[in-house]
Amino acid sequence: MKAVEQIYQALIMLEQKVNRAVSANEISLAINVDRANVSRYLNRLYEEKKIAKLEGRPVLFHSDKSEPQQISAIDGDSSLDRIAAIQSSMQTPIQQAKAAILYPPKGIHTLILGETGVGKSMFAELMYQFAKESGAVRENAPFIRFNCADYAENSQLLVSQIFGVKKGAYTGADKDREGLISKADGGFLFLDEVHRLSPQGQEMLFTFIDKGLFRPLGDTEKTLSAEVRIIAATTEQPQSYLLNTFTRRIPMLIELPNLKARDLTERYYLIELFIKQESRRIGKSIYAEKNSIIAFLLYDCPNNIGQLKSDIQLTCAKSFVNYKAKKADSILITSSDLPQHVRKGMMQIQEHRDSIEFLLKSKSPTIKFSLNQEQSYEEVNDIQLNEDFYDIIERKLESLKNSGMKNEEISYAINLDIEAHFKKYLGDIPNRMQSKDLSKLINSEIMTAAEEVLKFAEQRLQRKYDEKIYIGLALHLHGFVERIKKGVKIYHPKLNMIRVDYPEGFMAAMEAAKILDGTFNIHTPLDEIGYIAMFLSPKPVEISRHEKSCVGILVMMHGNSTASSMAEVCNAMIGVNHAIALDMPISMNPKVMYELAKEKVIQLDTGRGVLLLVDMGSLTSFGQMLQEETGIMVKTIEMTSTPMVIDACRKAVLSRDIHYIYDSLRTPVVHHVSEGSQEQTGKTGIIITACFTGEGASERLKHILEESLRTENIEIVPLNIMNKREFINKVEQLREKHKILAIASTIDIEIDEIPFITAAQVLAGSGIDKIKDILETEGNYQKIAKSLNKHIKLDSERLVENLRDVLAAMEHRLGLYIKEEVKIGIVLHMCFLLDKLKAGGKETFFEELQDFVKQYSKELAIVRSCLEGLGAQYEVRIGEHEEAYICRMLLSNGDILQEIV
Amino acid sequence: MEKIVLVCSAGMSTSLLVNKMKDAAKKQGIEAEIIAVPEVDAKQNTNGTDVVLLAPQVRYLLNKMKQELEPQGIPVAVIESINYGMMNGEAVIRQAMELIKNK
Repeated sequence: MKAVEQIYQALIMLEQKVNRAVSANEISLAINVDRANVSRYLNRLYEEKKIAKLEGRPVLFHSDKSEPQQISAIDGDSSLDRIAAIQSSMQTPIQQAKAAILYPPKGIHTLILGETGVGKSMFAELMYQFAKESGAVRENAPFIRFNCADYAENSQLLVSQIFGVKKGAYTGADKDREGLISKADGGFLFLDEVHRLSPQGQEMLFTFIDKGLFRPLGDTEKTLSAEVRIIAATTEQPQSYLLNTFTRRIPMLIELPNLKARDLTERYYLIELFIKQESRRIGKSIYAEKNSIIAFLLYDCPNNIGQLKSDIQLTCAKSFVNYKAKKADSILITSSDLPQHVRKGMMQIQEHRDSIEFLLKSKSPTIKFSLNQEQSYEEVNDIQLNEDFYDIIERKLESLKNSGMKNEEISYAINLDIEAHFKKYLGDIPNRMQSKDLSKLINSEIMTAAEEVLKFAEQRLQRKYDEKIYIGLALHLHGFVERIKKGVKIYHPKLNMIRVDYPEGFMAAMEAAKILDGTFNIHTPLDEIGYIAMFLSPKPVEISRHEKSCVGILVMMHGNSTASSMAEVCNAMIGVNHAIALDMPISMNPKVMYELAKEKVIQLDTGRGVLLLVDMGSLTSFGQMLQEETGIMVKTIEMTSTPMVIDACRKAVLSRDIHYIYDSLRTPVVHHVSEGSQEQTGKTGIIITACFTGEGASERLKHILEESLRTENIEIVPLNIMNKREFINKVEQLREKHKILAIASTIDIEIDEIPFITAAQVLAGSGIDKIKDILETEGNYQKIAKSLNKHIKLDSERLVENLRDVLAAMEHRLGLYIKEEVKIGIVLHMCFLLDKLKAGGKETFFEELQDFVKQYSKELAIVRSCLEGLGAQYEVRIGEHEEAYICRMLLSNGDILQEIV
Repeated sequence: MEKIVLVCSAGMSTSLLVNKMKDAAKKQGIEAEIIAVPEVDAKQNTNGTDVVLLAPQVRYLLNKMKQELEPQGIPVAVIESINYGMMNGEAVIRQAMELIKNK
């Protein structure tokens, strides 16, 4: 057998085996003949028309020379179908397109409608492709493309281009010329921007559409005919007046959806498609950081698919330059490669978190867009990435800074990375990955250390850690130890936030670090302790949300600088830049102001709403509109004064919810309540019981609570939790009029500041005791506040509420547990303190202050930051000595510290 | 003549309570010397007293002071927080007298 014959046989055999076309390489491997030779013979066979060739990379060959897809194309495997399979929003247009092509006897003319960049010309080409595949037109049928906008200024020239012209028809028509319509005979004429045709041109087009006849411009005798399928396209709205005649005369209307109308899965497919196109062009696989893909998925892309494509091309080009310049191992798209407007897409993550998570959940932080068609994209090894985690953070920080991103945006982007890291290890660790699999990857020393850390933390924090956290921590420590041994720095961008928000976890991590120090003979840096604390704290994944979860404060006033000055004073006094100002100069149009406000509200919202503090006029009506338009909870306080801004801001920083802040500001300030009018003006207390149906368990719980509490003042409201968001809305609504004392439910619910009691606890009785305690405490504070009215000049009811807030914040941030009765004492102490300072009283001397300050500087700083707002609100200065008294009171009574002493 | 000592952290909040207690004592015909001292001065002022009462916010002193004073026959207790909060002199004097009676 000759060599060429042998190759031909091998091709047929292999083709049958794998049931598709095969490459030269595959044949080379199968029969052990040099690939270059195989390739040479295959090409010879192709030239002899013995086999067929499919262009691509790699080039594939198959034995069947005839068009193999001719029949199957009509229903199932055409280029149009392949799009429809992936892009659900394209299904209707594609069905219409197929019908237009296959409609007997010669198909029907089509008008494609869609915004700029939705892919109208691409779609027209696909229709042409399909017509060929289905045999509706012959293989070499022409496809002529013409953009009517090109000649729109000269209508005669335009018409002559399409229909041809007779010499002398107009000045400059110096010879007979054939029109495009004749050139397209037997095939397609694609007329883009068809609405730009002059009325005369339109009439000629419609005549052709109706009768298949046309007359070149200036020719009165000759009527020509052509067999041409017209595909017209326009960006005009379907209802537009311009299009009226077109939509009446062209039988098939196909509307292509814009990018916004397509879901994220489709958009992801498009992104993938375009990056792969680039990858083929470059001839190398392209990697992309997950964040960049998220940005591409979410950024505002008004010019649709066309823009998406060019933005992707631009980005790939930039990444390619980096790859070349830095002699990197691979082409990696990072957020610094993205155009600014694309990068903004990352900011949208909050709103699309769920769908993004769903879409990308199986992807690692770096996604590969493979050059190789077979494995469309694969994930880079996870474990390896873990080691790179710190690098990612660091590199990210650098590159984002260099790219001129604002701090706020950087923090966001980095957050996503940290989140991804923890999601990966805590959320998505597959069940099949047992510790024993892990031991192959990670040495036993680290495994043991991770175990010890968790064992310690379990005891210390009274919490159970599951396998997932164990595995996650072990993987994390593996990366950490390697890094520290190499002497590379560790950086935690959110260290302070972790320290403040998870004091318990942080303290435990600090001690746990000693285990690591001993085992590995290293010194664990504080930044790393921050990471460990994230593992030890409850719900570590939600940290970023928690950190940002403060009600936004937006101050808007008439005048050039009124709002700014108010916000400035407030921020300076509280020490946090939380109040944001928008000035409204008298000359400014309220509409402009509204847009500015909208932008700010969107920017400020972290899921807990935004409070508008305004003076008067049109500003007072913004809130409602903003809420309707943005879907963000917006409340407005009118006639705002500086103390109100301070009060609102202080409460927001203490992460109070919007209703609470709103109510507390709205309540008129009454300084001296006379003895007689001491009626309870506050909200009535309620308890919520909840279950999935709102009828079964929750009714039962209500019943039990009513029986055992026997109180008439407390209303018990059963609710359903079919939909968590609705439930939370309902609770927020109830909060407007009531103080929610507790939620008892069969399902775990955590809403800030509302004590949660499980159904089991209620049934066992401990829950009922807990509620009784809550009721008693509430009652006590009410009584105390009322009786204090007689003794102090300040409005005692408000003061007591304020102090309870501050105390709770201090307790939380210091990581203490303080008994309720002791808290009453501390609140009293602070009441008298403020009253004394307000009356001009002197500070009480704290003995050995210097020693105390030295020993407890960290705790004092926390106490000070909590008290600052209070001092500002009541316009008094709480001095060092007084701070020390309060600090000692807290620390000495706090349970955790007491145990240590 | 009973001697009652109240202890709080800075001696600020208790002074008001002392006055209320004195009024209440007078009404009930109890002869009592009632003083308030801050935590740091507690030691010097407890000699020869009949009872020591702690403000709730200095509850942490309870064990230490009990150890020191109970052998001398001086009862030590924390003031009921609600009575403290409402500055209920009458109730606190009652609590003090109970303690003295039962010692």
